[in-house]
Amino acid sequence: MTRDTWQRLKCDRYGMTGLIIVAIFALIAVCVWSGLLGQGWSEVNGNRFESISANHWFGTNRLGQDILQRMLFGTATAFEVGLLVTVCSTILGTVLGGLAGWYSHGWLDEIILWFKGVLDSIPFYLFAAAIAFALQSSPWAMHLAMIITFWTTTARIIRGEVMRIKEREFIEAARAIGQPGLKTVFRHVLPNTFHILLVQGTIVFVAAINTEVILSFLGLGIHDGVSWGLMLAESSQEVLGGHFGNFIAAGTSLFLLLMGFNLLADALQDALDTRRAPG
Amino acid sequence: MNGPYLTRRLLYGIPLVLGVTFISFLLMVYFGPDKTYELIGKNPTAQQIIEVRHALGYDRPFLLRYGDYLKELITLDLGISDSTGEPVSVILRRTLPVSITLVVPGFILGNLLGLGLGLLAAWYRGKWLDKLVMSASVVGMSISFLVIIIGLQILLCTPYGLNMFPVRGWQVHDPGSYFYYVAVPTLALILVTLGYNTRFYRAVMADEIERDHIRTLRAYGASPTELLFKHVLKNSLIPVLTRIMFSVPFVLISGSLLLESYFGIPGVGLVTFNAITSGDQPILKAVVGLTGVLFVVALTINDMLYSVVDPRIAKS
Repeated sequence: MTRDTWQRLKCDRYGMTGLIIVAIFALIAVCVWSGLLGQGWSEVNGNRFESISANHWFGTNRLGQDILQRMLFGTATAFEVGLLVTVCSTILGTVLGGLAGWYSHGWLDEIILWFKGVLDSIPFYLFAAAIAFALQSSPWAMHLAMIITFWTTTARIIRGEVMRIKEREFIEAARAIGQPGLKTVFRHVLPNTFHILLVQGTIVFVAAINTEVILSFLGLGIHDGVSWGLMLAESSQEVLGGHFGNFIAAGTSLFLLLMGFNLLADALQDALDTRRAPG
Repeated sequence: MNGPYLTRRLLYGIPLVLGVTFISFLLMVYFGPDKTYELIGKNPTAQQIIEVRHALGYDRPFLLRYGDYLKELITLDLGISDSTGEPVSVILRRTLPVSITLVVPGFILGNLLGLGLGLLAAWYRGKWLDKLVMSASVVGMSISFLVIIIGLQILLCTPYGLNMFPVRGWQVHDPGSYFYYVAVPTLALILVTLGYNTRFYRAVMADEIERDHIRTLRAYGASPTELLFKHVLKNSLIPVLTRIMFSVPFVLISGSLLLESYFGIPGVGLVTFNAITSGDQPILKAVVGLTGVLFVVALTINDMLYSVVDPRIAKS
């Protein structure tokens, strides 16, 4: 990210709001990881369905566990899922998209495009179910399902960008001095797609957090630990009895974090938009 | 009509269908759970194990087993559900109409509303109305489907809210009861898709409105309705149709999966949800394989229709 981009981002009120929201949640996640927050998420330290009090800001759940602690711990889970899926699917999408773009209309490109087409044709939740089925409910089935399917959009965008970049003079120069093709792709072409990856990465992050919630509700998500998706799944049993603690805590955090990322993604897209005329 | 182009599109669909079915086969049949020991008594002899594996077809070569799976999908002879003992094709035939009647109103209204709001925002681009609509869609995009469903249930179906609609269930026999049971799921579907739809349609319409010929027409005093309906909407038909085609599987599958399992509506989504929780392989492999194939078929028809709408596509 250049200084120029940062200046533009700083002037974007919505973007900065998004960045601050994301930073606060990231801080919570770091505190959970380092053992400062949310460690009592599985302790039973109250009665069943206690209402809001100074001890239990969001009340307790049906086992008497503190909902605030679970919400904080769920933040860390959301970031774990989001980061893992974003990093892996972005790497996969960049490499495959880069190769497809560099060897465009060759056999490698055709195979990658075919594979992308196949994955895009299977409705995602069914694919996740199939993966969970094949892996016999392994705790990583959910992550794997997201990584295997989320790379395709990144790859499509990178492929297009690489096809554009490879026509430019500096790539021609690299080719002229006899640099091997693959080295050129990884050293000169792909680094020039960084701005796209940044925007695409935030979008994938949003998708991952959003998907975790649905998959956890369907019983295909997090098994050990707690996540906002599991809290919402719990709340679906409780709201009819008038217990809204889980729903409010998990629903609000989820909304705020998704909103933060959405605002940030929009602002990044505007700030990094290279098509915009300078000045 | 462009014969060679249409044939090429058709041929392009074949490797996709093979890929989709192959992945479903690999994940759910080949690597799927081994049912040998469920069907066998205690302390089986080696001979018994071999017999059961043979009856299940586990000893057949890999490619032949894949061929069997393809044959099942083509003939719609999909085996018998593990949990209910009913033929899968009978279950699907019974539940599919329920799912379609459940999601169709929300799908249509969500797209129409998104199109309307997108047009409005694009027309008043940069004005306060545009900003309002766009901010509202970012908010809409940030609310999880599950939160929308639970929230609407609290607001509309419980004594903590208006308590006007049923908490769950599906006892539909006339238009009145249909409305009674479909209202809340429809609203949920509209809300979850509206943000994304509005944003997409605004982007498409804004591009179109900025074109030179529209500006010229505007300068010559064409009325906004004439401009929007005769020129803008008509010219942006292709991206709009693509959007709708691509969102059909998402809405039909994801929408029915979540709405039906949440509201206890006996459609394909609930059957699939139950199959996921109980590991009912015949149902899962049928649903995954068939939706994948249907998607490819829809995609191919879609592409072929384009070349009819816009002959330039076939040439490039």
